[in-house]
Amino acid sequence: MGSVVLAVRLALADVRRHPAQAVMLLLAVTVATATMAVGLSLHAVSDALYAQTRAATAGPDVVVLSGESGPEVTAALASLTDRPDVAAHHGPYRIVYTDLTTRDAVSSPVVVHGFAETPGPVNRPLVTSGRWVRPGGTVLERGFAVALGVDVGDRVTIAGRSYPVVGIAVTAATSIYPWGAQIGPYGGPSDYTGLAWMTRSDARALAESRNLPVTTAIDLKLRDPAAAETFRHTVADDHPVRLVRSTFRSWWFTAQHDKVILRNAQPILVIGSWLLGFLAVTGVATLAAGRVAEQTRRAGLLKAAGAGPGLIAAVLLTEYLAAALAGDALGLTIARLTLPAVAAPTASRIGDAEPTVTAVVAATALAVAVAVLSTLGPTLRAMRTATVTALAAAARPPRHRPRLTALSALLPTPLLLGLRLTARRPGRAVLQACTTATTVVAITVLLTVHAQRERGYGLDGSTALPNLRGLHDRRLMLAITVLLVALAVVNILTFTWTTAMEARATMAVARALGATPGQVAAGLSAAQLLPGLPGAVLGVPLGFLVYLLFGVGDSVPPRLSWTLGAALATLLVTAALAALPARLAARRSVARELGAEAA
Amino acid sequence: MTVSGAVIRARGLVKHFGRGQSLVRAVDEVDLEVPEGQTLAVMGPSGCGKSTLLHLLGGLERPTAGEVWVAGRRIDTLSERDLARMRRRSVGFVFQSFHLVEELSAAENVELPALLAGRSPREARRRAMLLLDRVGLAGRARHLPSRLSGGQRQRVAIARALVNEPLVVLADEPTGNLDTAATLDVLRIFEELRAAGQTLVIVTHDERVAATADRLVSMRDGMFVDDTHLAAARPRGLGGLLGLGD
Repeated sequence: MGSVVLAVRLALADVRRHPAQAVMLLLAVTVATATMAVGLSLHAVSDALYAQTRAATAGPDVVVLSGESGPEVTAALASLTDRPDVAAHHGPYRIVYTDLTTRDAVSSPVVVHGFAETPGPVNRPLVTSGRWVRPGGTVLERGFAVALGVDVGDRVTIAGRSYPVVGIAVTAATSIYPWGAQIGPYGGPSDYTGLAWMTRSDARALAESRNLPVTTAIDLKLRDPAAAETFRHTVADDHPVRLVRSTFRSWWFTAQHDKVILRNAQPILVIGSWLLGFLAVTGVATLAAGRVAEQTRRAGLLKAAGAGPGLIAAVLLTEYLAAALAGDALGLTIARLTLPAVAAPTASRIGDAEPTVTAVVAATALAVAVAVLSTLGPTLRAMRTATVTALAAAARPPRHRPRLTALSALLPTPLLLGLRLTARRPGRAVLQACTTATTVVAITVLLTVHAQRERGYGLDGSTALPNLRGLHDRRLMLAITVLLVALAVVNILTFTWTTAMEARATMAVARALGATPGQVAAGLSAAQLLPGLPGAVLGVPLGFLVYLLFGVGDSVPPRLSWTLGAALATLLVTAALAALPARLAARRSVARELGAEAA
Repeated sequence: MTVSGAVIRARGLVKHFGRGQSLVRAVDEVDLEVPEGQTLAVMGPSGCGKSTLLHLLGGLERPTAGEVWVAGRRIDTLSERDLARMRRRSVGFVFQSFHLVEELSAAENVELPALLAGRSPREARRRAMLLLDRVGLAGRARHLPSRLSGGQRQRVAIARALVNEPLVVLADEPTGNLDTAATLDVLRIFEELRAAGQTLVIVTHDERVAATADRLVSMRDGMFVDDTHLAAARPRGLGGLLGLGD
């Protein structure tokens, strides 16, 4: 117990002494774990939202659709209700294919379902605002209405005739917007289509007035919902429904189809969380490395006082683990709040959702990994160092690199200093290169996502109604990129300041020997820029490769000028950001730095 | 040089640290002139302001009040950039703790000021090797400081201070961390420099070092309390100075 209290006390004292470091770890872990939890929970949450919508709307287990209409089709579909495994049904009902135009002249393909004014026991759309269908009025599916910007009381034109929107509703019988038409006219492929409901008589009148394509559907509730997926195989080949070109849609199929809109979202979020976690590790590891001598001396003190390896490891790791776990808790809370919006980019589903257990475990593992990977090296070094040596530990001296030193002698003073500073800590230079590469990868993927050609959800592919999947992908990618850039910015500042602090004696000597503060500041900036250069060069092809690996179909690369511009801008921003701490460090008193070093 | 021939001149030099009750008058109204070719030793107890005075003369610290002139140019009003340029051209520093760059070899340390001054790498290396030879370390040119003894490190530091042929070398306790043998090596070098007409300002605790100077200034509480010209009085030659015999 006493050991625990000691570890906690020392960790708290450390947090008080280095609050910025704890805050940085906390925030970095928060964004990484939130992103991972959301990414890993997406599909399960989509399923959960579908299940909640299905429960609230008495969603059918199977929808059978025929590309044709007429009495024979109706009779064939109706004959399915005689089967003993069918517990209840709704329909057959008419589905009319036409166009809908709003008052703002936004047009979209629409399917109109002809429903009774009093819904039956199966497929009872849940009215979320307004009321259910009445003669002369239409109800719009909620995802469709939100995309159109239409609300109850507005008027829409369907097949040239104006209807008031009397209600907004959701259903689990069809996929989310824009896949309201589960089959196209005459059973063919369907376009991006919204869903509307009218009374049966209005739907019939609509179809007949313009001789519009009509298909027929029936919603079935099975005695065993788990058999929905195999239901189609149990229908005999000579059953009348086989003669009317029928399509079977199980509830499971519809639930899976809901996830089509998330196809790119999950890799964006999961890979994004890996990259965020990586940047968190690089930043915190750099800070931890800057404190390695201090930690080693502390370990020496504890050893001298009789502490064992376990207690020493606990003392050194507690601060980081506590901050990481606090970040994890915060990240999971943020994930819980944002999940419904991220998992359901359309408004076609209702319900609430939480991160899955797997996502919580994975996010927590990520948080622990960030803390441990960042500090394992310094902790092991501190534990392995002999007590007397540890008590007088100083920063590890850099290695002599004669070739780089000779090469740097050919360069102007800022580059000479920059290259020599880079060579002092090659491991950190690799981390810097990786940070830049990660940033450029994210920006390249963002540019690639933006470069893709996509069909809008409006009439004939018009972008008056934007492609929600593309929009969702772009928004997520932008969010991930912003977070990555933010972490990279923090890392650049951290790298520069840590480099400046570690090399302050050397830089003070250089200034005493005649280097100007400007040259020292430029040298510190160059020390960040030099490793960033190969990182930026590698980041462009890597970014496009990442997109190709997880993208879909024929990917269009972004303009070369954009990606090269982004890489160049990243380097310029790196130089500018590094200049801030570099200038501060270069302005420190030479005499004081030399005095501190001598002491 | 200045009209008066002084390489270094200070007038009413003041340096305070802290404020209020914790105010420390490290240097208090000091006037000083160091003519070209003179070796000046500054002695005094620890904390009397010797090192601060040296830092002020070399432009590493800015005075609270007063003026400092190096090679006829007032430096206390210069920007940090111009101070750095002045140090490149006119001043060489030797520190008690050597302050060599640990990851650079002896030759690379010595050539560093020459590279900072814009000399070509070849010329910088040539000068560095020449000076290392002069301080007896040509065979240690590729050694890292960690592989050198304290005396050898200080000789490298002296070579580094000389590489840009400065008007004045400012040495802060150059033998403070050395044993007797190493101290003698350093003193021999200073003696050679003095004989060659190099202006030297040496801050020291060590009577043996002070005895090699042309002039001895004693400091106490930030002020000069004594200023003695030794050149005429002291015996010539290092061995004589140290009582070792030539």
